[in-house]
Amino acid sequence: MNDIGEFALLVALATALYGCVSYIMAVRGNRIDLYLSADKTPVIVWVCVVISSAALWKGFITNDFSLQYVWAYSNKELDTFYKLASFWGGQKGSLLFWTLILTTYMCVVYFQNRKKNIRLMPYAMAVMFVIIIFFLCLLNFSTNPFERIPLPPEDGRGLNPLLQNYWMVIHPPTLYLGYVGFTVPFAFAMAALISKNLDDGWIRLTRKWTLLAWFFLCMGNLFGASWAYVELGWGGYWAWDPVENAAFMPLLVATAFLHSIQIQEKKDMMKVWNMSLVLLTFVMTIFGTFITRSGLIQSVHTFDEATLGYYFLAFLGVIIVICTVLIITRLPLLKSKNELDSLLSREASFLINNLLLLGIGFATFWGTIFPIISEAVRGVKITVGPPFYNQVNVPIGLALLALIGIGPVIAWRRATWANLRKNFQVPVIVGLVTAAVLFSIVPLTGRSEIFTYMTFILCAFVMACILREFLNGARARMGLEDGGNFVSELGTLTWRNKRRYGGYVVHIGMVLIFAGIAGSQSYSVHEQKHLKMGESFKLRDYTITYEKLTAVEATSVKTRVIAEVGVFKDSKRVWTGRPEKEFYKGQNQPVSEVDVLSTIVEDIYIILADFNEDESATLKVYLNPMVSWLWTGGWVIAFGTMICMWPDRLEQRRRLDRMKKQEAIFAPAQE
Amino acid sequence: MNFVHFIQLILVLAILGAVGVPLFRGLSKIKLFAKLDESGEEYKHLLVRKEEVLLSIKDLEFDRTTNKVSEKDYQTQRKKLEMETVTILERMEELEKDKKKGKKSSKPAKVV
Repeated sequence: MNDIGEFALLVALATALYGCVSYIMAVRGNRIDLYLSADKTPVIVWVCVVISSAALWKGFITNDFSLQYVWAYSNKELDTFYKLASFWGGQKGSLLFWTLILTTYMCVVYFQNRKKNIRLMPYAMAVMFVIIIFFLCLLNFSTNPFERIPLPPEDGRGLNPLLQNYWMVIHPPTLYLGYVGFTVPFAFAMAALISKNLDDGWIRLTRKWTLLAWFFLCMGNLFGASWAYVELGWGGYWAWDPVENAAFMPLLVATAFLHSIQIQEKKDMMKVWNMSLVLLTFVMTIFGTFITRSGLIQSVHTFDEATLGYYFLAFLGVIIVICTVLIITRLPLLKSKNELDSLLSREASFLINNLLLLGIGFATFWGTIFPIISEAVRGVKITVGPPFYNQVNVPIGLALLALIGIGPVIAWRRATWANLRKNFQVPVIVGLVTAAVLFSIVPLTGRSEIFTYMTFILCAFVMACILREFLNGARARMGLEDGGNFVSELGTLTWRNKRRYGGYVVHIGMVLIFAGIAGSQSYSVHEQKHLKMGESFKLRDYTITYEKLTAVEATSVKTRVIAEVGVFKDSKRVWTGRPEKEFYKGQNQPVSEVDVLSTIVEDIYIILADFNEDESATLKVYLNPMVSWLWTGGWVIAFGTMICMWPDRLEQRRRLDRMKKQEAIFAPAQE
Repeated sequence: MNFVHFIQLILVLAILGAVGVPLFRGLSKIKLFAKLDESGEEYKHLLVRKEEVLLSIKDLEFDRTTNKVSEKDYQTQRKKLEMETVTILERMEELEKDKKKGKKSSKPAKVV
């Protein structure tokens, strides 16, 4: 099977090369025979990559340690669940996994569009093939996952214990689905540029793809934060690590893009801007991959054998040059005929939102590459830490949060101050009441606490703005001749305007995330104590008592040492925490498994930092307020995105009507 | 030849067959797509624009109902959007007439 897997990768590369060239020749030479021939290649390449992936998975399941990759990331004792996930645990497998997702996406795009967009599709497929070829070249000639060990060892080295967590099965695939998903809008944007077909057709074709990729990247980031929170044992979920930043930057640019395409659709303007944003989003995904695989920047996420940096850098350079040249040469075709009606309009608020998102993106980018720049200029690698990011990004983030509320309340095209005053009255009052109530509750001593205070006020303001939108919309519908009751009209309103109101639901999720970040960053307290059995200490209103220490042989390679910690409030037991340390055979460092009691108010987060032979133990306990708001925000975002992505029958009917009308007067595109 | 080589051979032959057959079906004379009809493309674009402008009018109506725009702004914007619709419809009609006459339109698109 290994031989077949390796061979399938080679065949996939040859077929992808043929597919790319024949698609271009077919469209350039206007030849249907070449097109029909090329049209077989997406599925063939996908099948080859599936065969190759299946072969590697089989290697993991059957403990085939003749494969160097399987030996490096698995062993006989590893749970089957983690054996499946070990596939993307290292560099080689993760590249194959990336290629698997990319070819799968390409196949879906192919089946969706092959008969619809005959002028654009060949170019889009060719662009996707170019990217696939790059990854297949790496897999075939640089990091072959089927590399053999001449004398296979008895057992493997095993998967890094930190990766033996259920999030390992969820987080990387979600993140990859997001990263790779941006290839689709990128390919269509490039196709539009190459074919000079620069109306907003490519945007309509890829809008949902962009949203899907955005959703996966957003969830991937949140899942990663959740994983870090429960596994790394430092009480936090985000550390502005270069690789976290690498996944955060495309998310910011894609968010800007998702907002600004609405202006292009509505007003047929901002074509250059949108084109640049979609290309930049893709560039950022490749940049992220470069960061993870170059070994140039230190991060907990970088792969052991991070040797592919230069390939990715070269690829990145080529993409940037091609994109820039294409945009410059197509500038006359991208010129907008329309202008903003007023600076006091929703379009203008979207523009400001774009600038703020890119501002955060640029600050994050600068902080991420600063170690490389400082080393190149001064010979010393200077790493930029969380204070830099917080200092720059928090104020911009607050402005962005305010805009989440302001944007929807302003009318499209033109608004007046009088209407704004009227519409913002209630949200501003809600904000002021929140400010007054919180003033007496929360401490306001430092800069961070002031920012947190402002965040809560803005969260209340934004929530009021969004809820007001739902309320006013439903009320307006109730006033119609066939208007029903409030609840049914609220449902109809959302159902008939899925994009708008689904977007508002996503915004509610963002508000929860902002509140969660603010609360957990500013009001978190922690204490570390070395305790003998039965001893206690106080942390805020809680009494923490160290009660028991147990050692358990979980498997032949894993021993668990579990501490039992009683948490009391007003002499009542609230919870018994069981943090543990896990010792893996052959691994020098034990792994901490924290225990968390999560409530809407706060998380009680306990780490067993150390223990001694006399059964005394060092416990570290955090009280992290509002962390659960973050995860709830994530689910709300998922729900909102689902509403936005739900097929819109009205839109489909409009598209069909357009096609019919077009074809009734003008001949179909294909002869 | 062992089993693995046999499978590899079958795989290659199947792929060559799949991509090769269309090349030998005598289709080389058939064009993939008709010559780009500029007026057809413009018409397609105008259909989309018309739809967007009509949706904008609907949005404007909704903004008025929910008190987001003043009556004065509503009237101004509505007039502007209606003008835009008329311009689009006129141009579409022109293109339709030209197409019926079999003439190629010479005037470039002018959409506000």
